[in-house]
Amino acid sequence: MGSLRNVGVVGLFGYTILFFTFIYLPIVLIVAYSFNSDPINMMNWSGFTFDWYRQIFGLKNTVSENALYIESTEQLLNALRNSLTVAAFTTTIATVLGTATALGLYRFNFLGKKFYRVLLFAPMLMPDIVLGIALLIFFVGADVSLGLKTIIIGQCSFLISYVFIVVSARLAGMDRSLENASADLGADEWTTFRRIILPQAMPGVIGGALLAFIISMDDLVITYFISGVDTQTLPIFIFGMLRRGIKPEINAIATLMLLFSFAVASLGLYFRSRRG
Amino acid sequence: MGTHIVQLERATKAFALPEGGTITALHGIDLDVERNEFLTLLGPSGCGKTTLLHAISGFVQLDAGKVRIDGDDVSDRPPHRRPVNTVFQNYALFPHMNVGNNVGYALDIAGTERKERNQRVGAALELVGLAGLENRLPRQLSGGQQQRVALARAIIARPKLLLLDEPLSALDRNLRQAMQIELKTLQAELGISFIFVTHDQEEALTMSDRLAVLNKGVIQQIDTSRTVYDRPTNAFVASFIGASNLFEGTAARSGGNTLIATADGLRIEAACSGGWKPGDGAAATALIRPEQFSLVGPGAKGPTIGIDIEQVVFTGLNFQIHGHTPSGRRIVAIIAAVRQADVASAEADGKARLGYDPAAVHLLPDDGTAAAEMAA
Ligand SMILES: Nc1ncnc2c1ncn2[C@@H]1O[C@H](COP(=O)(O)OP(=O)(O)OP(=O)(O)O)[C@@H](O)[C@H]1O
Ligand SMILES: [Mg+2]
Repeated sequence: MGSLRNVGVVGLFGYTILFFTFIYLPIVLIVAYSFNSDPINMMNWSGFTFDWYRQIFGLKNTVSENALYIESTEQLLNALRNSLTVAAFTTTIATVLGTATALGLYRFNFLGKKFYRVLLFAPMLMPDIVLGIALLIFFVGADVSLGLKTIIIGQCSFLISYVFIVVSARLAGMDRSLENASADLGADEWTTFRRIILPQAMPGVIGGALLAFIISMDDLVITYFISGVDTQTLPIFIFGMLRRGIKPEINAIATLMLLFSFAVASLGLYFRSRRG
Repeated sequence: MGTHIVQLERATKAFALPEGGTITALHGIDLDVERNEFLTLLGPSGCGKTTLLHAISGFVQLDAGKVRIDGDDVSDRPPHRRPVNTVFQNYALFPHMNVGNNVGYALDIAGTERKERNQRVGAALELVGLAGLENRLPRQLSGGQQQRVALARAIIARPKLLLLDEPLSALDRNLRQAMQIELKTLQAELGISFIFVTHDQEEALTMSDRLAVLNKGVIQQIDTSRTVYDRPTNAFVASFIGASNLFEGTAARSGGNTLIATADGLRIEAACSGGWKPGDGAAATALIRPEQFSLVGPGAKGPTIGIDIEQVVFTGLNFQIHGHTPSGRRIVAIIAAVRQADVASAEADGKARLGYDPAAVHLLPDDGTAAAEMAA
């Protein structure tokens, strides 16, 4: 009996280790490889180096012509600038519209509200590739030239849903009697909205905004369809690099992006814990 | 300007039920609340207590009838324009504001000048015994402290009337009793009317000047605690307030007294001084409170009831004897602790003879409550 339980415990422990290895090993390897000085075979550790980081920032060019992939740092920085521009616009637009929608649905009852809610969920469930093609056909049909503008509009069409859902979840957990208490103490509806509802929805708004930002920075499939030929975002740029083989610089870029996502997520958690 | 701070005139409210149909939460209620009065609303769950409070505070729009506050018809005014404040059952403190801002909320809305505002917040917190806790957040307070913050927040704007919806139900027994006294003192100090909702009958009896017993959207009786207890107007009130022995039967005259003959062969004698008097042959219910029984010997004068003892409970102040008549009717009697020897011998016998004074028996029109209790 006891030994059987021991077997169970050991088995469970082993499973847990395997599980986390499965999830995190590739990420750990990428980070490790980004510091590996061997330019040809990443699996072969030949010493520690910052070269790949120096290289993506155009600071150093020590490696042989052969190993060098990044044609120009300028191109990389341009893609990064595009990504940040798109993310800034989409995050702002999606946060404002998604929050307003969530607040509207929370506050008012109207005919077809449930159906409307389903419509807001739909873009999240739709396959990216379908959404991408649909947007492309729409933009081409509407004769809009592809570029940053179409990426922004296209991304907003599903990011609004994400923000809406995060803010709605926050509002759903809110105590309705607080609104009664506020009215009871003499506040009209607008004041109650400003002083009670909005401050409490705020952690949800910030969380939704960070989520929208990360998804926007990260989106490849949909953006790929609607970016046009000369506009590259960071994911598209990296994808392009990959097609010509996995080069060490990619590990460095991936590690930096990881660090960045981690920072954004930490910021989100910090806000959540601070605002209760 | 009348003497009443609140008047409800034929207040009626029905809610539509999701499964179809409606439920009438208020059934043409007339209610006058005096100035400086501590009025308690008592009734079983779902009887309409919260709805009645909400009709006064404005969260419920009446289907018919009027609400007057201090003489003004406020039936069509939204909650934020009624001179009434509420202590909510779950406190409803604003979680993102500290205690000072919670308490000062009404003054901030009204645009009270900063210095006066701070001074009044301090005074209100002092009044409820929380001086200096301005900077705490609600979640950093105990249940009892949150309760006090809710109280301070509700009285700071000096409302004409304070509504309290089961404000003590979440507190443990000791704290609840302490708060009962404090609330009563506070009400006297502030000199405003309190309408206090509870479904705890003991709480209702201790606290109120007057007591309104509600059932199914109708006020069954409204009077001083003493009168409601001693002279309930119907069997529902009698059974809801305090423990009671109810004997439903048919009335018959016997000398100056009335005899109630029950179906299981008991004859309860009532002197009927004042109160309702049934005619000969009318259906009536006799009420005998447990403490009106006494232990008597076999040769006792006056009416008695014989019971088989099931259990004797010593409460510290007295003995509660639980038993039943030969026909199975349950009886509760309360005997003073000084009669310990008699109680002990009765307990040893397993039988007791309970005497009562016909003058202490109260007669009620039979509304079926007693029969329903028997069946349960
Ligand atoms: N918004 C509503 N919609 C539908 N029915 C309601 C609504 N509010 C109250 N009711 C119904 O009206 C009746 C009275 O409710 P109310 O809340 O006034 O009871 P209560 O006496 O306060 O009960 P409790 O002691 O449980 O708080 C109940 O049957 C309740 O189900
Ligand atoms: Mg209630």
